[in-house]
Amino acid sequence: MRRWLGLVALVVVALATAVLLGPAHVPLGELASSDIVRTLRVPRAILALLVGGSLAVAGASLQALVRNPLADPFLLGLSGGAGLGAVLAIALRLSGPWALPLAAFAGALGAMALVYRLGLAGGGGRGAQLDPRVLLLAGVAVGAFAGAITTAIVSLAEATDLRNAFLWLWGGLSGASWQTVLVVAVYIPVPLVVLYAAARPLDLLALGEEPATHLGADVEPLKRRVYVAASLLTAVAVAVSGVIGFVGLIVPHIARLVWGHRHRALFPAAFLGGGALLLFADTAARVAVAPRELPVGIVTALVGVPLFALLLRRWAGGVARP
Amino acid sequence: MRRLLLASLFAVACRPTADRPSAPSPAHRIVSLAPSSTELLFALGAGHQVVGRTTWCRYPPAALQVPDVGDGLNPNIEAIAARQPDLVVLYRSPMNETAAAQLRRLGIASVTLAQDRLEDIASAARDLGRRTGREAAGDSIAGAIEALLGKAPPAAIARLAFVVWDNPPMVIGAGSYLDQVATLAGGSNVFHDLGAASATVSIETIATRNPDVILVLSDSTALPSYSRRPEWRAIRAVREGRFIMLPADLFGRPSPTAPTAVAVLRRALEGLARR
Repeated sequence: MRRWLGLVALVVVALATAVLLGPAHVPLGELASSDIVRTLRVPRAILALLVGGSLAVAGASLQALVRNPLADPFLLGLSGGAGLGAVLAIALRLSGPWALPLAAFAGALGAMALVYRLGLAGGGGRGAQLDPRVLLLAGVAVGAFAGAITTAIVSLAEATDLRNAFLWLWGGLSGASWQTVLVVAVYIPVPLVVLYAAARPLDLLALGEEPATHLGADVEPLKRRVYVAASLLTAVAVAVSGVIGFVGLIVPHIARLVWGHRHRALFPAAFLGGGALLLFADTAARVAVAPRELPVGIVTALVGVPLFALLLRRWAGGVARP
Repeated sequence: MRRLLLASLFAVACRPTADRPSAPSPAHRIVSLAPSSTELLFALGAGHQVVGRTTWCRYPPAALQVPDVGDGLNPNIEAIAARQPDLVVLYRSPMNETAAAQLRRLGIASVTLAQDRLEDIASAARDLGRRTGREAAGDSIAGAIEALLGKAPPAAIARLAFVVWDNPPMVIGAGSYLDQVATLAGGSNVFHDLGAASATVSIETIATRNPDVILVLSDSTALPSYSRRPEWRAIRAVREGRFIMLPADLFGRPSPTAPTAVAVLRRALEGLARR
Protein backbone atom coordinates (compact mmCIF):
# COMPACT_ATOMS: atom_id res chain seq x y z
CA MET A 1 0.00 0.00 0.00
CA ARG A 2 2.82 2.41 0.82
CA ARG A 3 4.35 1.68 -2.57
CA TRP A 4 1.12 2.66 -4.30
CA LEU A 5 0.74 5.85 -2.30
CA GLY A 6 4.33 6.71 -3.14
CA LEU A 7 3.71 6.14 -6.84
CA VAL A 8 0.51 8.19 -6.89
CA ALA A 9 2.31 10.97 -5.02
CA LEU A 10 5.08 10.83 -7.63
CA VAL A 11 2.54 11.25 -10.43
CA VAL A 12 0.89 14.17 -8.62
CA VAL A 13 4.26 15.86 -8.12
CA ALA A 14 5.14 15.24 -11.77
CA LEU A 15 1.83 16.75 -12.93
CA ALA A 16 2.22 19.75 -10.65
CA THR A 17 5.80 20.40 -11.82
CA ALA A 18 4.73 20.14 -15.46
CA VAL A 19 1.94 22.68 -14.93
CA LEU A 20 3.97 25.02 -12.71
CA LEU A 21 7.19 25.12 -14.68
CA GLY A 22 7.72 26.33 -18.21
CA PRO A 23 9.76 28.76 -20.25
CA ALA A 24 7.12 31.43 -19.57
CA HIS A 25 6.91 32.88 -16.08
CA VAL A 26 3.35 32.54 -14.81
CA PRO A 27 2.79 33.84 -11.26
CA LEU A 28 1.13 31.33 -8.92
CA GLY A 29 -1.94 33.51 -8.49
CA GLU A 30 -2.62 33.64 -12.22
CA LEU A 31 -2.16 29.92 -12.76
CA ALA A 32 -5.85 29.16 -13.14
CA SER A 33 -6.61 32.08 -15.42
CA SER A 34 -3.49 31.90 -17.60
CA ASP A 35 -4.11 31.11 -21.25
CA ILE A 36 -0.67 29.50 -21.55
CA VAL A 37 -1.38 27.13 -18.66
CA ARG A 38 -4.88 26.25 -19.86
CA THR A 39 -4.27 25.76 -23.60
CA LEU A 40 -0.64 24.60 -23.58
CA ARG A 41 0.71 23.27 -20.29
CA VAL A 42 -2.26 21.31 -18.94
CA PRO A 43 -3.10 19.41 -22.16
CA ARG A 44 0.59 18.74 -22.74
CA ALA A 45 0.98 17.37 -19.19
CA ILE A 46 -2.06 15.11 -19.55
CA LEU A 47 -0.85 13.89 -22.94
CA ALA A 48 2.59 13.12 -21.47
CA LEU A 49 0.93 11.09 -18.70
CA LEU A 50 -1.24 9.14 -21.16
CA VAL A 51 1.54 8.54 -23.71
CA GLY A 52 4.14 7.59 -21.09
CA GLY A 53 1.68 5.24 -19.43
CA SER A 54 0.65 3.65 -22.73
CA LEU A 55 4.26 3.07 -23.79
CA ALA A 56 5.16 1.49 -20.44
CA VAL A 57 2.14 -0.86 -20.50
CA ALA A 58 2.80 -1.77 -24.15
CA GLY A 59 6.44 -2.50 -23.25
CA ALA A 60 5.49 -4.60 -20.20
CA SER A 61 3.02 -6.70 -22.20
CA LEU A 62 5.37 -7.20 -25.16
CA GLN A 63 8.19 -8.26 -22.82
CA ALA A 64 5.81 -10.87 -21.39
CA LEU A 65 4.58 -11.93 -24.83
CA VAL A 66 7.97 -12.53 -26.45
CA ARG A 67 9.52 -13.49 -23.08
CA ASN A 68 12.47 -11.23 -23.76
CA PRO A 69 13.60 -8.45 -21.39
CA LEU A 70 14.91 -6.42 -24.34
CA ALA A 71 11.50 -6.05 -25.97
CA ASP A 72 10.18 -2.53 -26.15
CA PRO A 73 7.17 -1.05 -27.94
CA PHE A 74 9.26 -0.06 -30.93
CA LEU A 75 11.12 -3.32 -31.38
CA LEU A 76 8.33 -4.84 -33.44
CA GLY A 77 8.69 -2.52 -36.42
CA LEU A 78 6.15 0.10 -35.37
CA SER A 79 8.57 3.01 -35.24
CA GLY A 80 9.83 2.14 -38.72
CA GLY A 81 6.28 2.03 -40.08
CA ALA A 82 5.26 5.23 -38.34
CA GLY A 83 8.41 7.00 -39.55
CA LEU A 84 7.74 5.92 -43.12
CA GLY A 85 4.16 7.21 -42.85
CA ALA A 86 5.32 10.54 -41.47
CA VAL A 87 8.09 11.01 -44.04
CA LEU A 88 5.68 10.14 -46.86
CA ALA A 89 3.23 12.75 -45.55
CA ILE A 90 6.02 15.35 -45.55
CA ALA A 91 7.41 14.30 -48.95
CA LEU A 92 3.96 14.28 -50.58
CA ARG A 93 3.25 17.62 -48.89
CA LEU A 94 0.00 16.39 -47.41
CA SER A 95 -1.43 19.34 -45.57
CA GLY A 96 -4.01 19.73 -42.86
CA PRO A 97 -3.45 19.84 -39.13
CA TRP A 98 -3.91 16.07 -38.69
CA ALA A 99 -2.03 14.83 -41.79
CA LEU A 100 1.19 13.91 -39.99
CA PRO A 101 -0.29 12.00 -37.02
CA LEU A 102 -2.75 10.16 -39.24
CA ALA A 103 -0.03 9.16 -41.70
CA ALA A 104 2.21 7.98 -38.85
CA PHE A 105 -0.68 6.03 -37.33
CA ALA A 106 -1.45 4.40 -40.70
CA GLY A 107 2.23 3.52 -41.16
CA ALA A 108 2.40 1.95 -37.71
CA LEU A 109 -0.75 -0.09 -38.35
CA GLY A 110 0.63 -1.21 -41.73
CA ALA A 111 3.85 -2.39 -40.08
CA MET A 112 1.85 -4.10 -37.35
CA ALA A 113 -0.29 -6.00 -39.88
CA LEU A 114 2.77 -7.09 -41.85
CA VAL A 115 4.70 -8.23 -38.75
CA TYR A 116 1.61 -10.07 -37.49
CA ARG A 117 1.18 -11.88 -40.81
CA LEU A 118 4.88 -12.83 -40.90
CA GLY A 119 4.75 -13.87 -37.24
CA LEU A 120 2.08 -16.47 -37.95
CA ALA A 121 4.28 -19.54 -38.26
CA GLY A 122 3.11 -21.94 -40.91
CA GLY A 123 1.32 -19.39 -43.08
CA GLY A 124 -1.97 -17.65 -42.46
CA GLY A 125 -4.22 -20.69 -42.58
CA ARG A 126 -6.25 -22.22 -39.79
CA GLY A 127 -4.22 -23.51 -36.90
CA ALA A 128 -1.38 -21.12 -37.63
CA GLN A 129 0.45 -20.13 -34.45
CA LEU A 130 1.85 -16.78 -33.49
CA ASP A 131 5.45 -17.62 -32.74
CA PRO A 132 7.08 -14.98 -30.49
CA ARG A 133 10.55 -15.66 -31.89
CA VAL A 134 9.34 -15.27 -35.48
CA LEU A 135 7.42 -12.18 -34.37
CA LEU A 136 10.62 -10.60 -33.04
CA LEU A 137 12.54 -11.36 -36.22
CA ALA A 138 9.69 -10.15 -38.40
CA GLY A 139 9.50 -6.96 -36.36
CA VAL A 140 13.20 -6.25 -36.77
CA ALA A 141 13.05 -7.06 -40.50
CA VAL A 142 9.95 -4.95 -41.21
CA GLY A 143 11.39 -2.09 -39.15
CA ALA A 144 14.67 -2.22 -41.07
CA PHE A 145 12.85 -2.39 -44.41
CA ALA A 146 10.60 0.57 -43.58
CA GLY A 147 13.67 2.42 -42.32
CA ALA A 148 15.47 1.79 -45.60
CA ILE A 149 12.54 3.11 -47.66
CA THR A 150 12.35 6.13 -45.33
CA THR A 151 16.05 6.86 -45.79
CA ALA A 152 15.71 6.48 -49.56
CA ILE A 153 12.86 8.99 -49.67
CA VAL A 154 14.69 11.34 -47.34
CA SER A 155 17.94 11.22 -49.31
CA LEU A 156 16.06 12.07 -52.50
CA ALA A 157 14.02 14.79 -50.82
CA GLU A 158 15.36 18.19 -49.95
CA ALA A 159 17.81 18.28 -47.10
CA THR A 160 15.70 20.33 -44.72
CA ASP A 161 12.70 18.04 -45.14
CA LEU A 162 15.00 15.32 -43.91
CA ARG A 163 16.09 17.25 -40.87
CA ASN A 164 12.57 18.17 -39.91
CA ALA A 165 11.20 14.66 -40.46
CA PHE A 166 13.93 13.23 -38.25
CA LEU A 167 13.36 15.86 -35.61
CA TRP A 168 9.74 14.80 -35.49
CA LEU A 169 10.77 11.16 -35.24
CA TRP A 170 12.98 11.83 -32.20
CA GLY A 171 9.82 12.53 -30.33
CA GLY A 172 8.20 15.51 -28.75
CA LEU A 173 4.93 16.58 -27.25
CA SER A 174 4.71 20.01 -28.86
CA GLY A 175 1.63 18.91 -30.83
CA ALA A 176 -0.39 18.55 -27.63
CA SER A 177 -3.80 20.21 -27.45
CA TRP A 178 -7.11 19.41 -25.79
CA GLN A 179 -8.13 17.75 -29.08
CA THR A 180 -5.18 15.33 -29.02
CA VAL A 181 -5.80 14.63 -25.33
CA LEU A 182 -9.44 13.83 -26.11
CA VAL A 183 -8.56 11.53 -29.02
CA VAL A 184 -5.98 9.64 -26.94
CA ALA A 185 -8.19 9.50 -23.83
CA VAL A 186 -11.06 8.00 -25.82
CA TYR A 187 -8.81 5.57 -27.68
CA ILE A 188 -6.46 4.02 -25.11
CA PRO A 189 -8.95 2.56 -22.59
CA VAL A 190 -9.90 -0.22 -25.02
CA PRO A 191 -6.40 -1.71 -25.50
CA LEU A 192 -5.60 -1.03 -21.83
CA VAL A 193 -8.65 -3.00 -20.68
CA VAL A 194 -7.85 -5.83 -23.12
CA LEU A 195 -4.32 -6.05 -21.67
CA TYR A 196 -5.50 -5.82 -18.06
CA ALA A 197 -7.96 -8.63 -18.71
CA ALA A 198 -5.04 -10.71 -20.00
CA ALA A 199 -2.98 -10.08 -16.84
CA ARG A 200 -3.56 -13.48 -15.21
CA PRO A 201 -2.94 -15.59 -18.37
CA LEU A 202 0.19 -13.48 -19.04
CA ASP A 203 1.50 -14.52 -15.61
CA LEU A 204 1.05 -18.13 -16.71
CA LEU A 205 2.69 -17.48 -20.08
CA ALA A 206 5.88 -16.54 -18.25
CA LEU A 207 6.20 -20.22 -17.33
CA GLY A 208 6.30 -21.17 -21.01
CA GLU A 209 3.57 -21.82 -23.57
CA GLU A 210 3.04 -25.47 -22.75
CA PRO A 211 2.80 -25.11 -18.96
CA ALA A 212 0.49 -22.14 -19.50
CA THR A 213 -1.80 -24.28 -21.67
CA HIS A 214 -1.82 -27.02 -19.01
CA LEU A 215 -2.75 -24.45 -16.38
CA GLY A 216 -5.78 -23.43 -18.42
CA ALA A 217 -4.59 -20.41 -20.45
CA ASP A 218 -5.92 -20.19 -23.98
CA VAL A 219 -2.49 -19.33 -25.31
CA GLU A 220 -3.07 -18.69 -29.05
CA PRO A 221 -5.88 -16.12 -28.76
CA LEU A 222 -4.06 -14.60 -25.78
CA LYS A 223 -0.89 -13.94 -27.77
CA ARG A 224 -2.84 -12.37 -30.64
CA ARG A 225 -4.91 -10.16 -28.35
CA VAL A 226 -1.84 -8.97 -26.46
CA TYR A 227 0.15 -8.29 -29.62
CA VAL A 228 -2.64 -6.30 -31.29
CA ALA A 229 -3.56 -4.33 -28.15
CA ALA A 230 0.08 -3.43 -27.35
CA SER A 231 0.67 -2.38 -30.96
CA LEU A 232 -2.47 -0.22 -31.02
CA LEU A 233 -1.27 1.55 -27.87
CA THR A 234 2.15 2.15 -29.40
CA ALA A 235 0.67 3.32 -32.69
CA VAL A 236 -1.36 6.10 -31.08
CA ALA A 237 1.61 7.13 -28.94
CA VAL A 238 3.88 7.45 -31.96
CA ALA A 239 1.18 9.28 -33.92
CA VAL A 240 0.82 12.07 -31.34
CA SER A 241 4.40 12.30 -30.08
CA GLY A 242 6.86 10.53 -32.39
CA VAL A 243 9.21 7.82 -31.19
CA ILE A 244 9.91 8.29 -27.47
CA GLY A 245 12.43 5.66 -26.42
CA PHE A 246 13.33 4.07 -23.09
CA VAL A 247 9.97 4.60 -21.35
CA GLY A 248 8.59 1.33 -22.71
CA LEU A 249 11.84 -0.54 -22.09
CA ILE A 250 12.92 0.68 -18.67
CA VAL A 251 9.73 1.50 -16.77
CA PRO A 252 8.36 -2.09 -16.94
CA HIS A 253 11.63 -3.40 -15.50
CA ILE A 254 11.63 -0.83 -12.71
CA ALA A 255 8.00 -1.67 -11.96
CA ARG A 256 8.85 -5.38 -11.90
CA LEU A 257 11.70 -4.75 -9.46
CA VAL A 258 9.34 -2.99 -7.06
CA TRP A 259 5.97 -4.70 -7.69
CA GLY A 260 7.04 -8.16 -8.79
CA HIS A 261 5.97 -10.14 -11.82
CA ARG A 262 2.18 -10.26 -11.35
CA HIS A 263 0.70 -8.35 -14.27
CA ARG A 264 -2.42 -7.30 -12.39
CA ALA A 265 -0.20 -5.03 -10.25
CA LEU A 266 2.51 -4.55 -12.85
CA PHE A 267 0.28 -2.92 -15.49
CA PRO A 268 -1.12 -0.11 -13.30
CA ALA A 269 2.30 0.48 -11.76
CA ALA A 270 3.93 0.65 -15.18
CA PHE A 271 1.22 3.02 -16.44
CA LEU A 272 1.68 5.46 -13.56
CA GLY A 273 5.48 5.11 -13.59
CA GLY A 274 5.70 5.63 -17.35
CA GLY A 275 3.43 8.64 -17.11
CA ALA A 276 5.52 10.16 -14.29
CA LEU A 277 8.81 9.56 -16.13
CA LEU A 278 7.55 11.16 -19.34
CA LEU A 279 6.08 14.10 -17.39
CA PHE A 280 9.40 14.79 -15.67
CA ALA A 281 11.30 14.29 -18.93
CA ASP A 282 9.03 16.64 -20.87
CA THR A 283 9.23 19.32 -18.18
CA ALA A 284 13.01 19.07 -18.30
CA ALA A 285 12.94 19.20 -22.12
CA ARG A 286 10.91 22.42 -22.01
CA VAL A 287 12.78 24.14 -19.17
CA ALA A 288 16.42 22.97 -19.17
CA VAL A 289 17.66 24.90 -22.20
CA ALA A 290 14.83 27.48 -22.41
CA PRO A 291 14.01 29.30 -24.62
CA ARG A 292 15.14 26.37 -26.73
CA GLU A 293 13.65 22.91 -26.36
CA LEU A 294 15.23 19.43 -26.34
CA PRO A 295 13.70 16.36 -28.02
CA VAL A 296 11.98 14.57 -25.13
CA GLY A 297 13.31 11.15 -26.19
CA ILE A 298 16.82 12.32 -25.33
CA VAL A 299 15.70 13.37 -21.87
CA THR A 300 13.86 10.07 -21.18
CA ALA A 301 17.14 8.30 -21.89
CA LEU A 302 19.19 10.74 -19.80
CA VAL A 303 16.80 10.42 -16.85
CA GLY A 304 15.72 6.81 -17.29
CA VAL A 305 19.02 5.05 -17.80
CA PRO A 306 20.83 6.24 -14.62
CA LEU A 307 17.66 5.56 -12.59
CA PHE A 308 17.53 2.09 -14.07
CA ALA A 309 21.22 1.46 -13.39
CA LEU A 310 20.71 2.48 -9.76
CA LEU A 311 17.83 0.05 -9.32
CA LEU A 312 19.73 -2.69 -11.14
CA ARG A 313 22.49 -2.43 -8.53
CA ARG A 314 20.02 -2.60 -5.66
CA TRP A 315 18.03 -5.51 -7.01
CA ALA A 316 20.70 -7.27 -9.03
CA GLY A 317 19.28 -10.26 -10.83
CA GLY A 318 15.71 -9.09 -10.53
CA VAL A 319 15.28 -8.41 -14.23
CA ALA A 320 16.37 -11.77 -15.49
CA ARG A 321 12.83 -13.07 -15.91
CA PRO A 322 10.42 -10.77 -17.71
CA MET B 1 9.31 26.74 -46.84
CA ARG B 2 11.34 23.76 -45.67
CA ARG B 3 13.67 23.64 -48.61
CA LEU B 4 14.89 27.07 -47.77
CA LEU B 5 16.33 26.54 -44.37
CA LEU B 6 19.43 24.70 -45.47
CA ALA B 7 21.48 27.71 -46.34
CA SER B 8 20.97 29.09 -42.88
CA LEU B 9 21.89 25.95 -40.97
CA PHE B 10 25.60 26.29 -40.57
CA ALA B 11 27.04 29.47 -39.21
CA VAL B 12 30.65 29.39 -40.26
CA ALA B 13 33.36 31.88 -40.97
CA CYS B 14 33.05 33.70 -44.22
CA ARG B 15 36.57 33.71 -45.63
CA PRO B 16 36.58 31.86 -48.95
CA THR B 17 39.25 29.19 -49.28
CA ALA B 18 40.59 28.18 -52.64
CA ASP B 19 41.99 24.71 -53.04
CA ARG B 20 44.25 26.04 -55.75
CA PRO B 21 45.38 29.59 -56.39
CA SER B 22 42.72 31.12 -58.60
CA ALA B 23 43.37 30.45 -62.25
CA PRO B 24 44.76 33.41 -64.16
CA SER B 25 42.24 32.91 -66.96
CA PRO B 26 38.51 33.13 -66.17
CA ALA B 27 36.61 29.88 -65.60
CA HIS B 28 34.40 28.94 -68.53
CA ARG B 29 32.83 25.70 -67.35
CA ILE B 30 31.51 26.11 -63.81
CA VAL B 31 29.58 23.59 -61.76
CA SER B 32 27.71 25.42 -58.98
CA LEU B 33 26.72 23.28 -56.02
CA ALA B 34 24.53 25.63 -54.00
CA PRO B 35 21.34 27.53 -54.92
CA SER B 36 22.82 30.82 -53.72
CA SER B 37 26.02 30.52 -55.76
CA THR B 38 24.00 29.55 -58.86
CA GLU B 39 21.83 32.63 -58.40
CA LEU B 40 24.92 34.75 -57.84
CA LEU B 41 26.64 33.46 -61.01
CA PHE B 42 23.57 34.33 -63.08
CA ALA B 43 23.38 37.74 -61.41
CA LEU B 44 27.03 38.33 -62.36
CA GLY B 45 26.09 37.66 -65.98
CA ALA B 46 28.08 34.42 -65.96
CA GLY B 47 25.00 32.20 -66.39
CA HIS B 48 26.17 30.86 -69.74
CA GLN B 49 29.42 29.69 -68.09
CA VAL B 50 27.47 27.46 -65.65
CA VAL B 51 27.47 23.87 -66.93
CA GLY B 52 26.14 22.10 -63.85
CA ARG B 53 23.84 22.87 -60.92
CA THR B 54 22.17 21.02 -58.03
CA THR B 55 18.63 19.67 -58.14
CA TRP B 56 17.66 22.52 -55.80
CA CYS B 57 19.02 25.37 -57.92
CA ARG B 58 15.76 26.62 -59.44
CA TYR B 59 16.36 30.33 -59.52
CA PRO B 60 16.60 32.22 -61.78
CA PRO B 61 14.33 30.24 -64.15
CA ALA B 62 17.15 30.19 -66.74
CA ALA B 63 19.13 28.00 -64.32
CA LEU B 64 16.71 25.17 -65.02
CA GLN B 65 18.25 24.87 -68.52
CA VAL B 66 21.58 23.91 -66.92
CA PRO B 67 22.18 20.14 -66.48
CA ASP B 68 21.39 18.84 -62.99
CA VAL B 69 24.26 17.01 -61.22
CA GLY B 70 22.33 16.04 -58.06
CA ASP B 71 22.88 17.20 -54.48
CA GLY B 72 25.11 19.99 -53.26
CA LEU B 73 26.02 18.33 -49.95
CA ASN B 74 28.00 15.10 -50.41
CA PRO B 75 27.82 15.70 -54.16
CA ASN B 76 28.16 13.05 -56.84
CA ILE B 77 31.79 13.58 -57.97
CA GLU B 78 31.41 11.44 -61.08
CA ALA B 79 28.41 13.43 -62.31
CA ILE B 80 30.37 16.64 -61.69
CA ALA B 81 33.51 15.39 -63.47
CA ALA B 82 31.38 14.32 -66.45
CA ARG B 83 30.53 18.01 -66.99
CA GLN B 84 34.30 18.65 -67.44
CA PRO B 85 34.31 21.78 -65.27
CA ASP B 86 37.27 24.09 -64.80
CA LEU B 87 35.76 25.36 -61.54
CA VAL B 88 33.43 23.81 -58.96
CA VAL B 89 31.74 26.10 -56.43
CA LEU B 90 31.01 24.29 -53.16
CA TYR B 91 28.89 25.34 -50.20
CA ARG B 92 31.07 25.55 -47.10
CA SER B 93 30.15 22.66 -44.85
CA PRO B 94 32.18 19.90 -43.18
CA MET B 95 30.18 17.49 -45.33
CA ASN B 96 31.82 18.95 -48.44
CA GLU B 97 35.47 18.64 -47.37
CA THR B 98 35.72 15.11 -48.78
CA ALA B 99 34.23 16.32 -52.04
CA ALA B 100 36.81 19.11 -52.32
CA ALA B 101 39.64 16.61 -51.72
CA GLN B 102 38.25 14.22 -54.33
CA LEU B 103 37.97 17.02 -56.89
CA ARG B 104 41.56 18.05 -56.14
CA ARG B 105 42.71 14.49 -56.86
CA LEU B 106 40.94 14.68 -60.21
CA GLY B 107 42.73 17.95 -60.96
CA ILE B 108 39.54 19.99 -60.88
CA ALA B 109 39.78 23.41 -59.22
CA SER B 110 37.18 24.15 -56.59
CA VAL B 111 36.26 27.01 -54.30
CA THR B 112 34.39 26.63 -51.03
CA LEU B 113 32.20 29.60 -50.16
CA ALA B 114 30.25 30.35 -47.01
CA GLN B 115 26.77 31.39 -48.13
CA ASP B 116 24.91 31.87 -44.88
CA ARG B 117 24.86 35.60 -44.18
CA LEU B 118 24.36 38.69 -46.30
CA GLU B 119 28.03 39.68 -45.95
CA ASP B 120 28.95 36.24 -47.34
CA ILE B 121 27.14 37.21 -50.54
CA ALA B 122 29.25 40.36 -50.86
CA SER B 123 32.53 38.46 -50.50
CA ALA B 124 31.28 35.60 -52.71
CA ALA B 125 30.28 38.13 -55.40
CA ARG B 126 33.79 39.63 -55.44
CA ASP B 127 35.41 36.19 -55.44
CA LEU B 128 33.25 34.71 -58.20
CA GLY B 129 33.41 37.99 -60.16
CA ARG B 130 37.20 37.67 -60.24
CA ARG B 131 37.10 33.98 -61.18
CA THR B 132 34.61 34.50 -64.01
CA GLY B 133 36.25 37.61 -65.43
CA ARG B 134 33.37 39.83 -64.30
CA GLU B 135 35.05 41.85 -61.62
CA ALA B 136 33.02 44.99 -62.25
CA ALA B 137 29.72 43.12 -61.85
CA GLY B 138 31.06 41.42 -58.71
CA ASP B 139 32.13 44.75 -57.20
CA SER B 140 28.76 46.29 -58.02
CA ILE B 141 26.78 43.49 -56.32
CA ALA B 142 29.15 43.47 -53.34
CA GLY B 143 28.91 47.26 -53.10
CA ALA B 144 25.09 47.17 -53.06
CA ILE B 145 25.06 44.55 -50.29
CA GLU B 146 27.71 46.41 -48.28
CA ALA B 147 25.77 49.68 -48.65
CA LEU B 148 22.66 47.89 -47.37
CA LEU B 149 24.55 46.51 -44.39
CA GLY B 150 26.39 49.78 -43.76
CA LYS B 151 23.25 51.83 -43.19
CA ALA B 152 22.00 52.18 -39.64
CA PRO B 153 18.92 49.97 -39.41
CA PRO B 154 15.61 51.88 -39.07
CA ALA B 155 13.76 51.99 -35.78
CA ALA B 156 11.79 48.79 -35.27
CA ILE B 157 8.13 49.13 -36.25
CA ALA B 158 7.11 45.50 -35.58
CA ARG B 159 8.16 42.58 -33.42
CA LEU B 160 8.23 39.44 -35.50
CA ALA B 161 9.09 35.74 -35.44
CA PHE B 162 10.03 33.50 -38.36
CA VAL B 163 8.35 30.12 -37.88
CA VAL B 164 9.98 27.69 -40.33
CA TRP B 165 8.53 24.41 -39.02
CA ASP B 166 5.60 23.55 -36.80
CA ASN B 167 6.24 20.14 -35.20
CA PRO B 168 8.59 20.56 -33.44
CA PRO B 169 8.26 24.37 -33.68
CA MET B 170 11.40 25.88 -35.20
CA VAL B 171 12.25 29.55 -35.41
CA ILE B 172 15.00 31.65 -36.96
CA GLY B 173 17.67 33.08 -34.63
CA ALA B 174 20.37 35.72 -34.96
CA GLY B 175 22.67 33.41 -36.95
CA SER B 176 20.48 33.52 -40.05
CA TYR B 177 20.48 36.03 -42.90
CA LEU B 178 16.71 36.27 -42.35
CA ASP B 179 17.36 37.91 -38.98
CA GLN B 180 19.51 40.48 -40.84
CA VAL B 181 16.80 41.06 -43.46
CA ALA B 182 14.21 41.55 -40.70
CA THR B 183 16.38 44.07 -38.83
CA LEU B 184 17.12 46.04 -42.01
CA ALA B 185 13.40 46.17 -42.84
CA GLY B 186 12.50 47.64 -39.45
CA GLY B 187 11.47 44.44 -37.79
CA SER B 188 12.73 43.12 -34.50
CA ASN B 189 13.14 39.35 -34.36
CA VAL B 190 11.84 38.22 -30.95
CA PHE B 191 14.30 35.30 -31.14
CA HIS B 192 17.32 37.51 -31.87
CA ASP B 193 18.82 36.32 -28.56
CA LEU B 194 19.27 32.82 -30.02
CA GLY B 195 22.69 32.74 -31.61
CA ALA B 196 21.94 29.79 -33.88
CA ALA B 197 20.51 30.19 -37.36
CA SER B 198 17.48 28.16 -36.34
CA ALA B 199 16.33 26.48 -33.15
CA THR B 200 13.54 24.34 -31.73
CA VAL B 201 11.46 26.23 -29.18
CA SER B 202 8.16 25.53 -27.48
CA ILE B 203 4.87 27.12 -28.50
CA GLU B 204 4.75 28.51 -24.97
CA THR B 205 7.93 30.48 -25.61
CA ILE B 206 6.55 31.94 -28.84
CA ALA B 207 3.30 32.84 -27.05
CA THR B 208 5.22 34.54 -24.24
CA ARG B 209 7.44 36.55 -26.55
CA ASN B 210 4.22 37.54 -28.26
CA PRO B 211 5.38 38.73 -31.71
CA ASP B 212 3.12 41.17 -33.60
CA VAL B 213 3.40 39.04 -36.72
CA ILE B 214 4.61 35.62 -37.83
CA LEU B 215 6.75 35.36 -40.94
CA VAL B 216 6.51 32.20 -43.03
CA LEU B 217 8.62 31.23 -46.03
CA SER B 218 5.97 30.12 -48.49
CA ASP B 219 5.01 30.77 -52.09
CA SER B 220 1.37 30.18 -51.25
CA THR B 221 -0.81 32.95 -49.83
CA ALA B 222 -2.80 30.42 -47.79
CA LEU B 223 -2.16 30.50 -44.06
CA PRO B 224 -0.07 27.55 -42.79
CA SER B 225 -2.18 24.58 -41.70
CA TYR B 226 -1.02 24.79 -38.08
CA SER B 227 -2.72 28.19 -37.79
CA ARG B 228 -5.98 26.28 -37.28
CA ARG B 229 -4.62 24.09 -34.49
CA PRO B 230 -5.78 25.03 -30.99
CA GLU B 231 -2.36 24.87 -29.35
CA TRP B 232 -0.97 27.36 -31.87
CA ARG B 233 -3.88 29.70 -31.21
CA ALA B 234 -2.35 30.39 -27.80
CA ILE B 235 -0.14 32.79 -29.79
CA ARG B 236 -1.89 36.11 -30.30
CA ALA B 237 -0.54 36.69 -33.83
CA VAL B 238 -1.84 33.26 -34.89
CA ARG B 239 -5.25 33.91 -33.33
CA GLU B 240 -5.49 37.24 -35.11
CA GLY B 241 -4.26 35.79 -38.40
CA ARG B 242 -1.27 38.14 -38.53
CA PHE B 243 1.02 36.29 -40.92
CA ILE B 244 3.31 37.56 -43.68
CA MET B 245 4.11 35.00 -46.38
CA LEU B 246 7.57 35.45 -47.87
CA PRO B 247 8.12 34.10 -51.41
CA ALA B 248 10.99 31.62 -51.70
CA ASP B 249 12.66 33.25 -54.72
CA LEU B 250 13.29 36.42 -52.77
CA PHE B 251 13.71 35.21 -49.18
CA GLY B 252 14.76 31.56 -49.53
CA ARG B 253 18.51 32.15 -49.41
CA PRO B 254 20.96 34.98 -48.93
CA SER B 255 20.98 36.58 -52.34
CA PRO B 256 22.09 39.61 -54.37
CA THR B 257 18.42 40.63 -54.38
CA ALA B 258 18.59 41.24 -50.60
CA PRO B 259 17.90 45.01 -51.05
CA THR B 260 14.61 44.10 -52.80
CA ALA B 261 13.79 41.57 -50.09
CA VAL B 262 14.35 44.22 -47.43
CA ALA B 263 12.11 46.69 -49.30
CA VAL B 264 9.34 44.09 -49.79
CA LEU B 265 9.38 43.14 -46.12
CA ARG B 266 9.48 46.81 -45.12
CA ARG B 267 6.29 47.48 -47.13
CA ALA B 268 4.57 44.44 -45.62
CA LEU B 269 5.48 45.54 -42.08
CA GLU B 270 4.25 49.07 -42.79
CA GLY B 271 0.99 47.65 -44.13
CA LEU B 272 0.65 45.66 -40.95
CA ALA B 273 1.31 48.70 -38.77
CA ARG B 274 -1.51 50.55 -40.53
CA ARG B 275 -3.94 47.65 -40.14
